[in-house]
Amino acid sequence: MASTQLSTDHVLGIKYLNVDDINLIFETAENFKEVINRPIKKVPSLRDVTVANLFFENSTRTRISFELAEKRLSADVVNFSAASSSVKKGETLLDTVNNILSMKVDMVVMRHPAPGAPAFLANHIDANIINAGDGTHEHPTQALLDAFSMREALQSDLAGKKICIFGDILHSRVALSNIYCLQKLGAKVRVCGPPTLIPKYINQLGVEVSYDVRQSLEWCDVANVLRIQLERQDIKYFPSLREYAQYFGINKSLLNSLDSEVVIMHPGPINRGVEITSDVADSDQSIILQQVENGVAIRMAILFLLAAKR
Amino acid sequence: MLLIKNATIVDVNSKLNGKRRDLLIQDGVIQSIKAKIDAPKDAEVWDIAGACISIGWMDIGTNIGDPGFEHREDLQSATAAAAAGGYTAVVVLPNTNPSVHNKAAVNYILKNTAGTVVDFLPIGAVSEDCAGKDITEIYDMHHAGAVAFSDGQNTIQDSGMMMRALQYVKAFDGLVLNHPSDKHIAGNGQLHEGMISTSLGMKGLPSIAEELMVQRDLYLVEYTQSRLHILNISSARSVELVKQAKSKKIGISASVPALNLIFDASAVENFDVNYKVLPPLRDKEDIRALRRAVKSGTIDIITSNHTPLDTEAKDLEFFYADFGVIGLETTFALLNTYLVDDGFSVENLITLLSQNPRKVLNLQIPEIVEGAPANITIFDPNASWTYNRKDIQSKSANSPFTGKTFKGKVLGVVHKGIVRRN
Repeated sequence: MASTQLSTDHVLGIKYLNVDDINLIFETAENFKEVINRPIKKVPSLRDVTVANLFFENSTRTRISFELAEKRLSADVVNFSAASSSVKKGETLLDTVNNILSMKVDMVVMRHPAPGAPAFLANHIDANIINAGDGTHEHPTQALLDAFSMREALQSDLAGKKICIFGDILHSRVALSNIYCLQKLGAKVRVCGPPTLIPKYINQLGVEVSYDVRQSLEWCDVANVLRIQLERQDIKYFPSLREYAQYFGINKSLLNSLDSEVVIMHPGPINRGVEITSDVADSDQSIILQQVENGVAIRMAILFLLAAKR
Repeated sequence: MLLIKNATIVDVNSKLNGKRRDLLIQDGVIQSIKAKIDAPKDAEVWDIAGACISIGWMDIGTNIGDPGFEHREDLQSATAAAAAGGYTAVVVLPNTNPSVHNKAAVNYILKNTAGTVVDFLPIGAVSEDCAGKDITEIYDMHHAGAVAFSDGQNTIQDSGMMMRALQYVKAFDGLVLNHPSDKHIAGNGQLHEGMISTSLGMKGLPSIAEELMVQRDLYLVEYTQSRLHILNISSARSVELVKQAKSKKIGISASVPALNLIFDASAVENFDVNYKVLPPLRDKEDIRALRRAVKSGTIDIITSNHTPLDTEAKDLEFFYADFGVIGLETTFALLNTYLVDDGFSVENLITLLSQNPRKVLNLQIPEIVEGAPANITIFDPNASWTYNRKDIQSKSANSPFTGKTFKGKVLGVVHKGIVRRN
């Protein structure tokens, strides 16, 4: 019997969800995906629920995706971004959020540059928290929409499937959440990139490590290619983008030379010509735009399931 | 006049070790030690009912906030915290603002703590502002009363400067302390590099950042034939390096913070900032190696690693919280609670807390004999007590142990004729 309720009051990371939670989110998202393809896309599930989107770090697609999800569920939405806020005046996270909560907000969607910031918040305030990315720690909704999209593309569940995550693993919250999520769903996970961008102890999480892009592409069913996070690199981990593109990037001729057809994913925004070339991003093998569509459905599912627990 | 009755003496250097005695203290001096002393008329009587006394304990590498960070800890609150924890002496790091980097700064600490129950022994900075650039007037500070030299929390990164500091202090048989951490490898790591740091997505502090610096300093002290204390090591490999060097009769000693003997990196798995410390809490194998090293004498001292921080610096997102916790008031209780089960005796612990720091610093070791100045700590290794927020003597409360019940309680200290009872 599948569960009908999440085991947690917050979505702080995939680490804190169990397999039943993940499957419940997928089932719910499938329903919402059908809803958002109707002519009338709005449902009243979150009427009278106020959601604050707190973005302490720049984001376009995640913020819009959450906002759309909230609005399609008829929630009242407050947006806050660091650039236009009192954070620049030196207010602490706790003060900022308490102020917003005094205005009776029920749920908080937060992106923050510090790993653990949503967990810190969950310990201090009384609202459901959804982590929309905390530094280099986790980005659970991205991992869920990635896994959801992989299931769709492969037309099967992920048990035994081979997924390789390419690129900057060291600075990527998407990588970590993907690893947790895919492993919980029974997939085999590998990471591939320059050795300086792969954490030394990543194999202790049960993933394979490779530095060979071609060999890894031959191995995998799905290639999830990460953005090179130049903004997170405090020191140089590789000499130049040119060299990166040449030895660790994925281009069409490389893909064409493989025996099998690999599904190509990217969480965006893409550095075209660095981690993947345009002809790869725009090819039939790429499901990058489906990921974006599924993102709204997944976020609707999470908001809906958390609200159901209130 | 103070009469302490029914005291079990804990002092491996004394014939009275393990014996139960009464002690009469007058004008700061132990007047007599006998099986039974009748209370003189005007004497204050303190019957400790079989609890222990030892020579006063000494902490090395204590952080105080005075001058510059008095809102975290001033000399008064540091005195109270040290006395409450059983210490009658603290060897304080120079990381104040301004740093303890000249004679005036050394005098400031000495003058303002002259009449207190706790001796404050300043460590002079090796470089101006502990910034690692220009060497300080080390000899002058030595004359003023600095007992050793170090840049404290700031590791001396420049090998040339470290070498010259080790050479220079030889003029007066001085001691240099260095906290081992290669900043180019440690980077902005937030916790021990390993499974936990990887699973939290945070950059780690690799053990090798510590070990490389230990190795460098061991080479330098061997080359200079000087004296070095490696302050607060935390990894199994560092232990191995120190052990090898000690077999060569090099002038080195080493310490470990109490917390690192007990907790591993899993303590920060849920972003608990009160376990965010330097050196970081590492793996279970490291703990085992550190404990073995303490038992065998490879590690000489257990420190409190006392680092007071206000809530504005500590109660933050893990990434932004400063490193460090307070420890003076809980170090003995922590060790007594967790280590006595693992083959440590109370006697061992007291030697580590009282004799060894003075040996490392070449200071006179107090004695519990008639006619000697009374410099003693009174404690009950079997009493349980709870460390409550309201009892914290330090100005800062950044402790993982508030509300925790320990076995082993400090009852008080007596030093310089002052009695401080908890």
